Amino acid sequence: MSSLPSSASTGKESGLRVPSNGKTIYHRPINRTKTSELSQASFAFLFSEMVAYAQKRVKGIQELEHKLNVQGHSIGIKLLDLLLYREPARTQLRPQNIVALLHFIKQNVWLHLFGRQADRLEKSTDAEKPDEYMIIDNEPLVNQYISVPREMSQLNCAAFVAGVVEGVCDGADFPARVTAHTVGEGEMWPGKTVFLVKFRSEVVEREAFLAKS
Amino acid sequence: MSYYFAIVGTQDNPLFEYEFGTSKQGGDGQSRFTEQVRHLNQFILHSSLDIAEEVQWSHGQIGRGLTGGGSRNGRYLKCIDKFFNNYISCFVTGGNVKFLLLHQPTTPTSTASSRSSTAIGANPTSPATEEAIKMFFMEVYDNWVKAIMNPFYKANMEVRSPIFRARVAAAGRKYL
Amino acid sequence: MAASKASRIGEEIWKTRIDKVNAELVTLTYGTIVAQLCKDFEDDYPEVNRQLDKMGYNIGLRLIEDYLAKSNTMKRCSNFRETADMISRVGFKIFLNITPQVTNWTADNNSFSLVFDENPFADFVELPDDGRAQNELWYSNILCGVLRGALEMVQMQVEAHFISDVLRGNDTTEMRVTLIRYIDDELPPEDD
Repeated sequence: MSSLPSSASTGKESGLRVPSNGKTIYHRPINRTKTSELSQASFAFLFSEMVAYAQKRVKGIQELEHKLNVQGHSIGIKLLDLLLYREPARTQLRPQNIVALLHFIKQNVWLHLFGRQADRLEKSTDAEKPDEYMIIDNEPLVNQYISVPREMSQLNCAAFVAGVVEGVCDGADFPARVTAHTVGEGEMWPGKTVFLVKFRSEVVEREAFLAKS
Repeated sequence: MSYYFAIVGTQDNPLFEYEFGTSKQGGDGQSRFTEQVRHLNQFILHSSLDIAEEVQWSHGQIGRGLTGGGSRNGRYLKCIDKFFNNYISCFVTGGNVKFLLLHQPTTPTSTASSRSSTAIGANPTSPATEEAIKMFFMEVYDNWVKAIMNPFYKANMEVRSPIFRARVAAAGRKYL
Repeated sequence: MAASKASRIGEEIWKTRIDKVNAELVTLTYGTIVAQLCKDFEDDYPEVNRQLDKMGYNIGLRLIEDYLAKSNTMKRCSNFRETADMISRVGFKIFLNITPQVTNWTADNNSFSLVFDENPFADFVELPDDGRAQNELWYSNILCGVLRGALEMVQMQVEAHFISDVLRGNDTTEMRVTLIRYIDDELPPEDD
């Protein structure tokens, strides 16, 4: 191709062409788009196409939710490092325990994605379930974005966000299964959603061990 | 002074490797590892992974670390291991990927040893050395985040970009 | 309508009438869509281009309503040159906060290029180093479909495709847009 730079590459690892100004992803400051905005409508259109596409390739709602979860998951893994990188150096700590991790999600991740924190964090009150935590959002912003059928949309959206949360947990080495549940509360919070974070047993065991040492 | 730098994935799989020498005190940036030592380097780094794992989860006390806890932040674990004259420093990313740097201080037979004893690298656990290594890691981390933000990057994929390599080399020249 | 006036309209709408989200959320979401398509179609890039175009077309069909409501421009553009300015300075502005240059017109005024100095979809992106992606994949191809779908709803049949992309190592990112025909004549008379 004509655009192949003359300085092109030697060695097996250098197959990609770059523009003549040499600009690549490595030249772009990470924080360049930190505060950039786009229209909510653009996100809504992309998201509903993503759902529509996924719907065609699955049987049933569970499989659909799984597919959306997977797509959110890859975003969660990336966000974990992006958002940690952007913390001021002094607080640039890797989350070392479950509570720190969940706070990071409730604050940093929610703020980045939705412009505000999640409403509440809760630990399961069931003594049999020490591995379960809940991130509660009274009014998930994503619900507004959607232009697919109402009864499906909430489920779908939340499954995507649950995937993002799961990606953050897995990435940080707190492997978990995250599911979204709509628990509308009357007229006040009709879209209230609980993200149920169920950590794998070894995470809880590690936590107990570290607390002792 | 020679350095061996490796990025290791969450399955203890190597994602990137780079070998270089000091550029300080007139160093030419070339490593001086022999072929035999090269194999050993990989082995030493690999065997330090368990310690990295251990240290990363410990809070104040470091099991077998060579430097105290104190101001250590959650990601830069400083010098975590020593094998004869090989020192290993570690940095853990949010996604639990490890940056490992093996450094061999100049041997006493070097003619420059007396003059360079306060230089970076002469004393692998001195605050100046640790700070220099931290700066090196932070610069690599900046580029690492750029690499993994790519939608085509999947967890534990090797990074083969020559530009990434050049950036790591530049960070090495700048700080080490 | 003059291009400068279109710019003012676009700016005004962007500032006052658009609900906004973090740009990176959109970038990342688009990224996972493309990555998923590449996975589902086993890196058959021409097929991925087609799928992206199709998704864009579906979006375009619905997006035009939003565009007309926000821009309050019920008046039909008087010619294709004016249409091009509105696409760039109002359409791209209010959805993606960019205004690609309109340039390289053909003598018959039926075909122009959009040159993108900025492309939020492509932030953070490096194409796979597999010896094929840089020759076959048009990463932002969804945009071609969006234009095609949206313009069809306002009685313009167009053809749109990328002819260069900085992600492929080109110096510019350029989309070619060609008017095939106006389709008003097929409308029932009462819609006039």
